[in-house]
Parts: sequence; C-alpha cells; structure tokens
Amino acid sequence: MIRASGHRDPVVAVTALALWLLLALFVVYPLGMLFARMVVDQGGFNTAAITKILTDRHQIRAFWNSLLLATLVGVLGTAVGFLFAFTAARGRLPRLLLGIVDASVLLPLVSPPFTTAIAIIFSFGPRGLITYELLGMKGVTVYGLTSTFVSEALTYFPIAYLTLRPILAAIDSNIEGMAFSLGASRWRVFRTVTLPLATPGLANAFLLLFAASLADFATPLILAGNQFPVLPTQAYLQITGLFDLRGGAVLSFVLLVPALIVFVLQRYWVSRRFYVTITGKGAGETPFNSISPATRNVLLAVCAAIALVIVYFYALLLYASLVMALGANHTFTLQHYRVIFTEGAKAIRDTLIVAAFAMPLGGLYGVLLGYLVTKKAFIGRRSMELVSMVNYALPGTIVGIAYLIAFNDPPIELTGTALIIIACYVFRYGPTGIRATVALLQQIDKSLEEASQGMGAGSATTFRRITLPLILPAFFAGLGVVFIRSMTAISATIFLVSIGWTLITVKILDNITELSLGPAAAFSVLVVVIVFVVIATIGRLLRLFRAPGNVPMTSLLGG
Amino acid sequence: MSADSIGVDVEGVSKRYAHRVKGEVYAARDVVLHVEPGEFLTLLGPSGCGKTTTLRMIAGYEMPDAGRIRFGGQDVTREPANRRNIGFVFQNYALFPHLSIFENVAYGLRVRGIDEAQIGRRVGEVLALVGLGGYEQQFSSQLSGGEQQRVALARAIVIRPQVLLFDEPLSNLDAKLRVQMRHEIRELQRTLGITTVYVTHDQEEAMAVSDRIAVMSAGSVVQEGTAEVLYHRPASQFVAQFVGRVNLVPGRIASIAGGVAKVAALGSTVDAVVVAPGLVPGAAVRLVVRPESIAIAPAASASGALTATVTSRTFLGEKIEYLLRCANETLQVVRYDAGPGDTMAEGARVAVRFAEDAATVLPETGASAKSR
Repeated sequence: MIRASGHRDPVVAVTALALWLLLALFVVYPLGMLFARMVVDQGGFNTAAITKILTDRHQIRAFWNSLLLATLVGVLGTAVGFLFAFTAARGRLPRLLLGIVDASVLLPLVSPPFTTAIAIIFSFGPRGLITYELLGMKGVTVYGLTSTFVSEALTYFPIAYLTLRPILAAIDSNIEGMAFSLGASRWRVFRTVTLPLATPGLANAFLLLFAASLADFATPLILAGNQFPVLPTQAYLQITGLFDLRGGAVLSFVLLVPALIVFVLQRYWVSRRFYVTITGKGAGETPFNSISPATRNVLLAVCAAIALVIVYFYALLLYASLVMALGANHTFTLQHYRVIFTEGAKAIRDTLIVAAFAMPLGGLYGVLLGYLVTKKAFIGRRSMELVSMVNYALPGTIVGIAYLIAFNDPPIELTGTALIIIACYVFRYGPTGIRATVALLQQIDKSLEEASQGMGAGSATTFRRITLPLILPAFFAGLGVVFIRSMTAISATIFLVSIGWTLITVKILDNITELSLGPAAAFSVLVVVIVFVVIATIGRLLRLFRAPGNVPMTSLLGG
Repeated sequence: MSADSIGVDVEGVSKRYAHRVKGEVYAARDVVLHVEPGEFLTLLGPSGCGKTTTLRMIAGYEMPDAGRIRFGGQDVTREPANRRNIGFVFQNYALFPHLSIFENVAYGLRVRGIDEAQIGRRVGEVLALVGLGGYEQQFSSQLSGGEQQRVALARAIVIRPQVLLFDEPLSNLDAKLRVQMRHEIRELQRTLGITTVYVTHDQEEAMAVSDRIAVMSAGSVVQEGTAEVLYHRPASQFVAQFVGRVNLVPGRIASIAGGVAKVAALGSTVDAVVVAPGLVPGAAVRLVVRPESIAIAPAASASGALTATVTSRTFLGEKIEYLLRCANETLQVVRYDAGPGDTMAEGARVAVRFAEDAATVLPETGASAKSR
C-alpha cells in the first residue's frame, strides 16, 4: 500500500533506497571511474595523459570540427524542421498528405543512425548510383564535411520538426489574424509575429540538434573520412586502434563540456522563454490563412522534394538489399538476407534478447522513478531526478567508455555479459519514461485523486484505478523508446559488445568497413521493419487502454 | 479621432463548409445587413448560428461564397483584412505576447509607416483614453483580463478604423467586469462615432450596447430591430424565447381586425398584436407574453375573467417570481411592486390580467416567421 504522502512510508523508503543504489552503481560509479582513469596513473595523481591529448593538434582540430559540424547540422536541421513544421501547422494540408509528411519524418527517427549515411554512399560514392551510374563521374570522394553534415541534418531534422510543430500549432491564429487586420502583409505578419513567437522553439530545436550531432558517432565514422576527424570517432579509434583507454577517456570527457553547456542552456534557459498565449475561443473551423495559396504551394513543393529524397534513400536501401551488388551487378537475389539470417543470426538474436529485457526494465524504472520524485517526499528527491538524467544527457561515447572502464575489472566485472548492455540501455534511455511520467503527473490535478478518495476509495485503490491508468502512456513511451534505441543505438554499446554478446548495429558497421554493403542494407531494412512493427503494436496497446497522451518521439533519436 | 463614418452593407452573403458528418452546411446563408454610419449593430444568436462567420466575412478573414460586402458603398468583398482598415477585437484579445503594451498598440501604426513621434503621441493618447496610461512597458502576461481587454480595444481604435468589429469581447471576463466594460465600449463607440458590428450570444449584453440587434439562427438573420422591438414584438417563437423569458400560450384565432387578433386561449379571449402575416381565423397560434406583463391580484378583489392557482412562489428581493396553473397551462409571472403584505402564497387563487398591448400572436410553427 502506498500512502498519499510518504514521510515514513517503508515502501517508499525501500524503493527510493533501491533506486539510489542502482543509480550509484550504473550512473555515478562509471563516471567516477572514467574521471579517475584520466587523472590517476600508477597509483598517483597524474595529468600527463590529459595534457598530452589536449595539446595534440590533431585532437584540437577534432574538437573544433565537432563544434563546426554540430553548428552546421543545428542550423540546417532546424531550418528543414521548421519548414516541415510550418507547412504542417499552417498549410491546411489534407489528412492524407499530413500522414505522408509524418511518415517520411518518422523513417529517419526509427532507423539505425547511419542509414542515411549508407544511402549517401550508395548514391554519391565512387560507384554511386547517381555520381557514377547516372552522371558517369569517376574518382568522386563522398567523404568529408559536406556529406557528413547533410546526412546528419537529414537524420536529425525530425527532432526539430517534432519540437517546432506543436509550438507553431499552439500559436493562436487569432494573433496572426490580428496583425493582419491591423494592415500588415502576410510576410510582415510572419516576420514580426510568427517568427518571434517561435524563436524559443527554434533555439530549443537548434540545441537539441547540436547535441545530437555532437554525440553522433556512426555517421562521421562512415562519412567523415580521414580529413575530418571529430571527437567521438577519435575517442573510439584511440581505444580500438591504439588500445589507449585513458586517451579515449580524456577525449570523450572533452566532449562533455559542450554537451553539458547545451544541456543546461536547453533545460534552464530556453525552456523558460516560451510565451504563454492566452486561451479562449479559438478561431473555430477556419483559422486565419497565414500563408497565401502561392506560398503554400512553394512550401509544399520544397517539403515534397525533401521527403522524396528521404523516401528515395530508403527505397535505395531496400533495393541494395535485394540485388547482388549495387553499382555493379543488379541481379535480384535474397542472398543478403540469407547471410544475415545465418551468419548474422546471432547478432539478431542477441539484439532481440537484450531489447526484450531492457524494454520492460526500462519502462518500469522510468515510471517508478518518475512517480517517486513527483508524488513522494523523501530525502534527496531532487538530486535523484537530476542524477537519473545524467546518462541520458551525456553523449553515448562517454557513457560507453565509462561503462567499459568501470565494469572491466573486479569488484564489478560485467564486460562480456548481456547485463552490461541492458544496464546501459535502461539507464540511458529509461529517463524518457521518467520525463514522460513527471510531465503526465504534473498535468493530473490533485483533485482527481482527492475525488476518488472522497468517494470512499482507499489510497491503494486510488493508485490502481486513477493514477496508474493515467500514467500508462508514460510507461508505454518508456517501453517504446527503450526498445527502439535498443535496436538502433550504437555510440555507447559499441564499446560494450563482446564475442558473447553482439548487436545488429555493430554488425552493420562491421559490414560497412568490410565493404559488404548488401548485408548492411539488409540488416538496416530488418531493423526498420522490426521497429515499425513494435511502434505500431505499442500504438495499438495505447488505444486499447484508451489512455490519453502520446509517445514523445523527440527523444527517439541519436546513437 | 474618428474617420468620417461609413455604412456597412452585407448583401446576400453566404458561406458553405464541408462538414465531416453532415456534408455541405451553410455557416451563413443569404445574410442581409445594413449598418448606418456610426451605428452600433449587434449580431445576436446561440453558438453555431453563423454570427462569427458573418463577422469574419465583414472583417475579410473569410471570403463569402456568394454575395457582396460594401464599406461606404465601395465593394470590398475580395479585399483581404489587411486592406479594409478595420479594427478587430477578439474574445481572447489576441495580444502579441512578445511585444510590450506600447508595441502592441503601435503595431498597426508602424505597419502604416507613421513616424516615430506621432506613434508615441497617438499610442499615449489612446492608452489614456482606455485608462491605461503608464502601462506602456508592461507585457500582456502582467495584465488582468480587463486590462488586456482595454489594450485590445486601444490597439483596434488607434489606427482610426472605418469599421470596428467585436467577436464576443467580454466572454472571458467575470460578470461584474463584463457589465463595466460594456458601458465603456458603448461610451467609447459613441465618442468616436465609429460604425461598429458586435457579436455576442448574451442577450442582455446585446441590449445594453446596441443601437440595433440582428438575431441570427441557423446561418440566417431571423429578425432585426431595436432591443425593444425584439423584446416586445418578436417575429418568431425563436426570437421570443432567445431574447428574455417568455410565456408561449397555445390558442386559436377567433377574429382579426386592424392588426389586432382576438385569440381564444386559457379558456378566455385575449387581445394580441399581429406581427406575422398570413394568420386567418381558426389558425392555431401562440400568444407571446412576457412574465412582467402579467398582473395578478388576489382572486376576490379582481374583476378580470381569468383565474389561476399559484403553484410556486420565489422571493428574490427586488422581485417575486410565480408559477401559475391556469387552464392546464403554466404561466411565469414576475412582480416587482410587491410590498411586505403580499398574500399570494402557494395554493392561493389569483386573478390574472394581461397588460394592454402586451401579448403578441405568432403562428404555431414559429420557425416559419421570418421578418424580411
């Protein structure tokens, strides 16, 4: 039984203690070990490793490259996301068209993070479908800054879209109508009213994209090439290539600085700048037409073109998985699928097992912690919420390296087990469920629970009949996110796979480095299909329980 | 500070929508309105009657599917809102949350390219006029509902619009402030002399602010006139019931002469004014009688032919409300002049008398009566 306020509630106390232990073990301890590894050498305090890395010109370049890439991705991705969001919110699109837009935006969200990168190589590489086959160009280099940032922008712009669309939709169209009736042209209304009101959202989207790009590991590894080193890949190469765990730790820690700045800016600065528009009677059936028919057509055309590129990329991926060798031999074959279901069967099985364990654990963890920090009073409540967000906010490379360092040796030796991967997923992606739970619980007025109690229900009944059904969507959100990420993530877990336990995403990366692109494409298609099926199932379950609210897709992305 | 007042003509305007369930529906159907220069006209009706759609077409937010809209004789049907020189006040005020009060009010002036010095002067003047001098640097989120309403008003009038349009501007205010603001809006409109169209579903508010009221139902104007005409001589049962409280007593016409009908009702004969055409002797009708137009007195002291039984009596201070049982009909009666010695308690027999000219007669199927 859970009491309404639990100062001396044993259940709350025990649960809180258990959660604190888990957080200490899987969040605080690894990061502490990571830090220790950087500054402690041969039993003493030693910063030589740090100085060596930080003065290395190659690494300094990687740092600035990372910032440049993240900035470019932030700008382009936000622009494209805004274009889509504005068209969707103001374009008076018919349902079907809106569905197509949403679907084309969803595709990059649920794919392994380097799917776009593979498609770009297929299209624009040395034997690319467009560069070589269509245009007959020879010796083209696709690798470098341009392809990397275009690929990341296309992969991550859905974050901007999903951030901006509700903001644009929430701007009362009467406000735009008002400016219009005061004599302003549509363009002036957009410039002086719509855009300023959307500015906090734009800043937010930019920061989210910046962080996503900063943490992205797979795309630069495939596309950036030797000429454009970035921090996450450098950290990876330092460890896997040079077996320099300390150097990798330092590099990943450097990444922490901008990542933390962005996180703080996003949570504590931008989020307080949103304008509250007054509620009242809306504009009814026909809101103010803030874009003229001509503008609407132009916007639609541009969005359609971008959506078409995305669809083309995925069609290409599917095609590549079904022919002998794209660019050389276009004979239809199921051979690549045969390969992934025989040689790759272990990776598929391992990934599904890991996901199957991580999903319920992550969902439960999210709801439990979210409920506890919102509804219960206990010591360290605020800090628990903060600590629980750490692994979520950090780039995956840092988390992966920290786990690698922390759990490689006794006292807690987990390397080579499935548990280390599952723990990584639960504590890295479970926080989505925490945030969803907190957000939902904050919307639930206290009076709902009071009403239930007033009608004679005990607090246990109230929790079961009122609170639990209301936070069910948050549970499903947690489930969905943890599952999708378990299928698609790579940046943290690439450090954690072993002979015993491997993952599809890592297998795809291996395939790409071995230039066996056919199986890589087949694997990618498989992941997209599985994820779509699971998302659809969760959607059905949500409808089945008639629970309000929806899965926050914003947090589905990244590596 | 008004521009020269102009009239507004709405000539047979219609607007259709594709409704997901009902198919094509008319939000407004063949609406005809004439607003005199400087006049205050209110569109009154229940929600969904088409009043807001009509207003938005006058504003230029929506284009009619048929008909014309003229400002001062000039056809503006195809002109968008930003070229009509109107002032619009929304129910939720639609203040720009990212701009200060000064910049909110100055917006329309900046659009018109007016120089800075003049903008400062005019914004100051109009803010003083609505009683918000000194609020220039505040933001809308810092203001109360009534203050926000005044900013919205200031912003609408500072551009010296030819036509002022209000869409349920007082619905978000509490009852007391609503009464105060409607007086202020009326005063301001009189001072400025701007032709005004006002939309509300509140009949008392409509009566308080308007020169004339157009009652709308199901997309059409069903009756137009001053508050008094609408109240005392409703042309349909809909108007009778929508504007104020009313008794609709069934009866049958005995004879008609000179616009007055003798109606057999309540087991007696009552004189009633005829407003709808096409009534003939023998037709089933309804008598429209307001509760305060019925006088009652203890049965013994009355000379009238009608008697009734008090079934309910509610003392409300300034007035007493009664429900009477009279020839199997229920009558609502309101008395304002009852002293402490009122003896007409529940169960008492009372004599009933209709005030002279108080009753209006309408055909039984009231909806068919359309004043045009």
